[in-house]
Formats: sequence, structure tokens, C-alpha cells
Amino acid sequence: MSLDYLLDGFVVALSWQNLLVGLLGCFFGTVIGALPAIGPINGIALLLPIAYTIGLPAESTIILLSSVYMGSEYGGRISSILLNVPGDAGAVMTALDGNPLAKQGRAGEALAISGISSFVGGMLGVVGLAFFAHLLSLLAIGFGPAEYFVLMVFSFATLASMVGKETVKTLIGCTLGLILATVGLDPTSGAYRFTFNEPELGSGIEFVMLVIGLFSISEAILLLEQHSAGATIIRQMGRTLPRIADLVLSAGATLRGSLIGFFMGVLPGTGASVASSIAYTTEKRISDRHGTFGKGDVRGLASPEAANNAAATASFVPMLTLGVPGSGTTAVMLGALMLYNIQPGPQMLTEQPLLVGGLIAALFIANILLLILNLPMVGIFARLLTLPNWILVPGILVLSVVGVYSTNASVLALLMMVGIGILGWVLRKLAFDMAPILLGFVLGHLMEVNLRNALAISGGELGIFFQSPISIVLWVFAVVIAAAPYLISRLARKAT
Amino acid sequence: MKITFDSGRVAAICLFVFALLFAWSGSRIEYAFASDPLGPRAFPLLLAAALAVFSIWLFFRPGENEAWPRGIILWKGLGIPLTVALAALLLMPVGFFGVTFLLVSVIAWIFDAGLRRAVISGVIQAALWQVVFVHLLGVYLPSGSLWEGLAP
Repeated sequence: MSLDYLLDGFVVALSWQNLLVGLLGCFFGTVIGALPAIGPINGIALLLPIAYTIGLPAESTIILLSSVYMGSEYGGRISSILLNVPGDAGAVMTALDGNPLAKQGRAGEALAISGISSFVGGMLGVVGLAFFAHLLSLLAIGFGPAEYFVLMVFSFATLASMVGKETVKTLIGCTLGLILATVGLDPTSGAYRFTFNEPELGSGIEFVMLVIGLFSISEAILLLEQHSAGATIIRQMGRTLPRIADLVLSAGATLRGSLIGFFMGVLPGTGASVASSIAYTTEKRISDRHGTFGKGDVRGLASPEAANNAAATASFVPMLTLGVPGSGTTAVMLGALMLYNIQPGPQMLTEQPLLVGGLIAALFIANILLLILNLPMVGIFARLLTLPNWILVPGILVLSVVGVYSTNASVLALLMMVGIGILGWVLRKLAFDMAPILLGFVLGHLMEVNLRNALAISGGELGIFFQSPISIVLWVFAVVIAAAPYLISRLARKAT
Repeated sequence: MKITFDSGRVAAICLFVFALLFAWSGSRIEYAFASDPLGPRAFPLLLAAALAVFSIWLFFRPGENEAWPRGIILWKGLGIPLTVALAALLLMPVGFFGVTFLLVSVIAWIFDAGLRRAVISGVIQAALWQVVFVHLLGVYLPSGSLWEGLAP
């Protein structure tokens, strides 16, 4: 199969409208990433309904949202380094060495090194995406309903094993998401499920309402609790260009982080935060001979930054080729495609080549734009960190109300958003991660449809889920990934 | 083994009860015909069973939770979703501009802006978002049924 779709994609991405949309997305994404109050999922969830309502075509919306996603991965490091508060989940590890560097008067260098590492990770991620999307779409043609069902079991096994501090809470989150997805009309039988005679629930729980409720409303309540804690922002930048010696020293860490990030990102459900965590701990194990990690080692800064950008790009691979999100943020993107009645999957490269090619080209262009925005202009974004919560949070809530109302035109939807927000806050206080709920919701309908179709094909025989080589390989991977944390901790205990 | 009822265990009990209610509601789904062997009840019942098992697991391994807010922080925290709910209920009669002013002012006050700054912020953001959404982006937002009768 030729890669002509990539060349056509560049033509789409380089149109003036999409360039402007991409630039706006990069700028907003960096702002969203820099501000601790709002992460990429919130930002994308707030922009999506507005982009849809004003009539942006599907390609432009996806370019906008993916540029926001990439921008937020660059922006997250700004508050991590200057404030010791991660701008988003993928930037948690960045603070470990980034903030100590800033406290040594080298904030500008730290921001530059992390910006360059982000660029390298992002670019390697785009090359990997172009190659793997093509390869995986060829493989995915062999997927039938049984294989898709097993793929989703594998996705949840990966989630349970790698995301969140406690497996049981991740599993409960996934199950709650799957439960929410059952609300509405069952297309196969025509039965209404869990609608309680409410006509608005006939088409199910609306995706935008769920995302905004879970992430924005609950976040606003949590921010109030953190509001009184306060944090000191480091204002002294020092030199803004990195030393050549530091770039050479961090080159290996950047490349290793990029590779780890890419392969973690391809796994369904994992995302940038898991990737950056694994990259940092791996780099520390390989390179920390004198106990310098955690005290301002540039390798400890470069590795997770390269990883989170590579993972963010790689998370598009399963989303585009298999219709399974690679991260919580790509789960929202999946929702965006469904709003436009586009079903991601192996047929996307043949049915929507301009959209896939345009997205890959836009990610390539976005990385270049973001390096330009983030190196000389980082001081402007840093000033945003001084914006007080009493200005920021009301603005986020207004965007939430507009976002939900513009897609539903319903007061009931707004009230349900509030209810979901309170539930989200309670679950977050109980240390539940929100991403599994979102992934469960996005995959729930597909999972049930594939389960029922597979059993319809086999006449009720469960053996269909264990017949094809693809299913068997996926079951083996699912078991290995689910058991991996326990095996590794047992081996570690035996070693000590 | 001594069991203390912390919030994790209370959550486990609530989730278990929810699983039972969900299973009961799922078993009563009415349908005339299903083209597959499972039908529309099976998946919800499977999920209810899974949730029940996981909630028992959570009861015995509740893990760590974050500290719950108390006093004024708790009340202010709950004030945020209540303000958004009030804004939602007033959206049709009062309109987007008025509701935005209310929402921004109250939330700013909750975040310790002080009354004067909260009101000024409310006016500025209401005007800003009205211009951005209604006039620049063309998003339909209610203008308020209360004022329609007053328009010339």
C-alpha cells in the first residue's frame, strides 16, 4: 500500500485554514498545559463542542484538537519546572529534576532542554505513527467481532495493570464507564435500558456532558481545596539556551525516552503519564551512577519529556487503526470522530485517507510550531501562571456550561453534568482515576456489540473468542500484562 | 481482623448496593425480540456481577484515600456545583449574559476574590463571553425569556 495519503495529508494540513487552526491549537494547548488548573482532556473536551457547533469540518476539528493535545504536552513542563506543580499528568516526572534545576537559577536552560526533548520525542512519534498506522491497518483487516472483543479485554487488562495506584479502583472505574455506556436504546433489540422513561436518555448519556462533568466540574471543586495551599513561582530564568554539553549529555536519555514513550503510547489506555513514569525510572536505573537524579540532572528532565510527547503521538495509532483509544485524551478524540459519524478502525486509511494523512501531517507541523513557540516565547506562557484562580476557574465553568448546552440545548443535560461532576469529585477523593471511566464509556458500546455479534455468528459458542491466532495472541498479552506487576514485585522481593 | 469503616469501605458498600440495584433494573429490561443469543439484559447483568465482585475486593483492600475537606472549604466546594446548577436552571428565563455574570461573580467570590473584584470580574467575563460566543462564533445561547416581553 502506498503512502500517498501522507502527501495528500500535507496538502490538507498546509491549507491556510488548517494552518491557522493548527497554530491556534498549539497556542491554546501550550496555555492549557501550562496552567495546572486545566489538563489536555479538559481543554479538548471544552473546545470540541464549540468547534462542532461553529461548523468546522472534521479534518480541521481533529487538527485543532490534536494540536491542542501536542501543545499541552509541551506546556505541562512550564508549571512543573517553575512551580513544582505539574501542568498535566504527563509532566509529573518533569518536576523531579526540572524544579531543582530552576531553583539553581537555570530555569531557562531547563525549559529549553525539555522543549528540545519534547520536539525530538514528538517527531520520532510522528514517524512511528506514520509507519505503524500503515502496518497496523493491514493487520487489523483480519479483525472480526470476536477479535475486537478480545482486543478490548486486552485494553482493560493494560489499563488495570498500568494505570492508577490500585488495580481494583481502575477495574471499578472501567466497569462504571461500561455501565454508563449501557444507558439508552439497544439498537439490536430496540429495548430502552435504564432511561427511566426520560426521552433525553433515549440516545444514551451524552459524551461531552460526561467528559466535562467528570473532568471540569470535579476539577473546580478540587482546585478550591488546593487554592489555599499556594505555591511559589520561580521568576529568575537565567540563560534561555541550553549548554552544548548538556544537550550532548541528554541525547541518549532523549532517544531512550522517545522509544519507551512510543511503545507505551501504542498500548491501549496507557498514555503519556505512564510512559513518562516508566521512562524516568528506566533512565534513572541506567544513568544515575552518582545519585544526581532528583537534584537537577538534565537526563532526568529530558527522558520523561521525550517520552510523554512520543506517547501522546503514539496514542493515535490504536485510535486510528483499531478504534481503541491509546490514552484518555485520545478517548475524547474518538468521541470527536463519532460526533462527525466517523468510525475509526482499519477501514479509516482507505475511507478517510485525507483525515488520517492530514492528522499525521498536522502533528509534524505542530511539533515545529511548538518548538518555535516554546523556545523564545516561553516567558509569555510562564506569566500565565500568575493568573489567579478567581479569574481562571469561573472562565472554565462558563466554557463548560456553553460546551454542554451548545451540543444538547438542554437544561437537564447541564444538571446531569453537575451530578456527574459531584460523583467525579467523590471518586477522585477516593483516589479513583477518571481515565478508566472515560475509556470504559467510549469502548462500552463497541465491546457489547462485538460480543453479541460474535456470539450470534457462533450460535452462542464461546469458543469463537479463542479460535483465531489474533485472539490467542491478544489473550496471552492480556494475561502477561495483567500478571506483570505481581511477577515483577515477587522477583524484586526475591532479589532483596 | 479488625475492620474500620473508612470512606473506602463505605464506598465499597455503596458500590455493592448499586451493583445489586443495577442487576435488578437490568433483569427487568423489556424487549420483544433479540437477534443474538445474549439479548439486551446479559451485558448489564455481567457488568453488575463484575462490579459486585470488585466492590467486595475494595471492601477488604480499600487502599489510600485523599483527606476530605471540612468546614468552610467543604461548604464552598459544594457551593461550586450548586452555583452551576442554579445557573443552569436560570439560563432560559434570565439568559446567558445574566447567568454568566451570576456564575462568574459567585465562583470568584468563593475563590476569595472579594465582593468588589468578583462583581467586576462577573461583568467583564459576561460581556467577553457574550461577544466571543454569540457574536463572533455564532453559538446559539438563550437571551432570556424574562426580557423578551420588555424588548421594543
